[in-house]
Amino acid sequence: MPLISTQSLTKRYGSSVTALDALTLDVEPGIIGLVGANGAGKSTLLKILLGLLKPTSGSATVMEMDVATRGPEIRQYVGYLPEHDCLPPDVSATDFVSHMGRMAGLPPAAARERTAEVLRHVGLYEERYRPIGGYSTGMKQRVKLAQAIVHDPKLLLLDEPTNGLDPAGRDEMLDLVHRTGSEFGIATVVASHLLGEIERVCTFLLAIDAGKLLQSAPIASFVQHTGTLGVEVEDGADALAGRLVAAGLTARADGRSVLVDCPDERPYDIVRDVIDEMGLSLTRLEQRRHRLEDLFRAEGRTDDAA
Amino acid sequence: MTRREAAVAPRESATGAIYDLGYRGYDGQRLGRRAAFATLFWASLRAAFGLGRSGRSKVVPWGLSAIMIVPAAVAGAIQALAPGGLSPFNYDNYLWDLQPILALFVAAQAPELVSSDQRNRVLSLYFSHALARSDYALAKVGAMAAALFILALAPLLVIFSASILASTDVPAAVGDQLGNLPQIVGSPLVYAIPLAALGMAIASFTPRRAYATGAIIAVFLVSAAVGGILAEAGRGRLSLVAPLINPFVLLDGTRDWLLGASIPDSPVSRADLAEPVFGALTAVLTVIGIAAVLWRYRRIAA
Repeated sequence: MPLISTQSLTKRYGSSVTALDALTLDVEPGIIGLVGANGAGKSTLLKILLGLLKPTSGSATVMEMDVATRGPEIRQYVGYLPEHDCLPPDVSATDFVSHMGRMAGLPPAAARERTAEVLRHVGLYEERYRPIGGYSTGMKQRVKLAQAIVHDPKLLLLDEPTNGLDPAGRDEMLDLVHRTGSEFGIATVVASHLLGEIERVCTFLLAIDAGKLLQSAPIASFVQHTGTLGVEVEDGADALAGRLVAAGLTARADGRSVLVDCPDERPYDIVRDVIDEMGLSLTRLEQRRHRLEDLFRAEGRTDDAA
Repeated sequence: MTRREAAVAPRESATGAIYDLGYRGYDGQRLGRRAAFATLFWASLRAAFGLGRSGRSKVVPWGLSAIMIVPAAVAGAIQALAPGGLSPFNYDNYLWDLQPILALFVAAQAPELVSSDQRNRVLSLYFSHALARSDYALAKVGAMAAALFILALAPLLVIFSASILASTDVPAAVGDQLGNLPQIVGSPLVYAIPLAALGMAIASFTPRRAYATGAIIAVFLVSAAVGGILAEAGRGRLSLVAPLINPFVLLDGTRDWLLGASIPDSPVSRADLAEPVFGALTAVLTVIGIAAVLWRYRRIAA
């Protein structure tokens, strides 16, 4: 069952700003990283999935329910952590999370009980009886996470959950997100502009840029070996690339490096021999791994070309 | 032991420790939209009186509630001490006489109910639950109306109790006073619902609490002043419509029309207008107010 599915989903603000541009995707349950630069359309996508925003055109389903017609039903099973502040300063965390639990349909006793549990889960103790206005950013983020999971959602939408946190706070929040998603089996979408965070906690990656889908694949496929050999030489990279191509390999120069496709082990010997013949000084020879950043770099290049 | 009941696993870090005492799923009952509406209504009604908030948020609503009740209590006490003395207050004129307190309560507490959710952007969370936008709007207006109803009803109940306690024949007095039930419940309703609609319509349009309070007070002051000036100017048509400009005169006219007892010092008694006109205009004002709140929450970005 697809968790989230969109069909040429488009959202325009006014006539000039296109936040989502005919986005079509299918996502299976898991911890899904939604990555993109600021303004790429991440928040817009999450808000449409929640029914907070109406798409300009196209359709979307969450847990096989159409967001246009079954919004209230979907929202009962979704927890949402907005990117921005969303907490009243004059109420205690206990009162607020319990109130939100009841808004999500928990009966009063269950709301109280689960509030105590989730606040403990996110690591808020004595301070939970004090007004939220006096909390640190890290504590506020925890309250935001607590209110998103108080009703045991089937899907958790987290918009920049580490926003405003210091490095230690980031680590803790990511750990919390990872455990909430993996140990408790809540399907989670984490929107972030930081690739490192996505790499750490997610199992699946959705990359969007300017409202278009760049990439949608399991994280593992990005960080495994690419079958590309990077050959870095002092100078003469272009000449080397030419000779390698002449020798029947697929190679291209990339700055001081030459990237050689290695479907098998044959190219290694050829590369060694060619470098030796040309008398080049070899500085580095490495197997290239995909990095998430490559995604955006590659896209940037095609944009420049176009 | 399943993973959902994971054992205690403290993790130390620079800023504190996360103790995993286990997160559990929830398979119990999930109430729907109606329960969410009721929850929001009750929470807002409590907030209107500062309940569950800091001491500072109680000062204004409790102070105004006290001021609202004191005249009735004092009059009642005098009546009890000197039976037969005529109280200046009755069920008909009490709310008219204390209208500034009602106005101040709306000005202070209507923003309390709606501004904070806009300013602190709590609306995103409300709208990401089963609650519809119109539910939010109606629950808030309803809570404000209920708060005003309680505020207006309380002194009338004081008058009611005092009249009974001051009489020599208690059972007969109870019988007498029960005959006044329509006025006791009706007048607060006539005041509460339109005032809530008007106040919330103004308050819901700004996240800035002070602006909302100022705007509500301004509307009451300006309308009263303009109505007064037109009445004084006393020339033909203008003075005819003068009583319809001040919302409190409209409310008194509606009360007069529905419950039938005019107050000598209200412009309604001097107005050359059919009483249903007041009722109709009050209804129009109320509907416009509620429609404005609904429109606002349909448009607002969350």
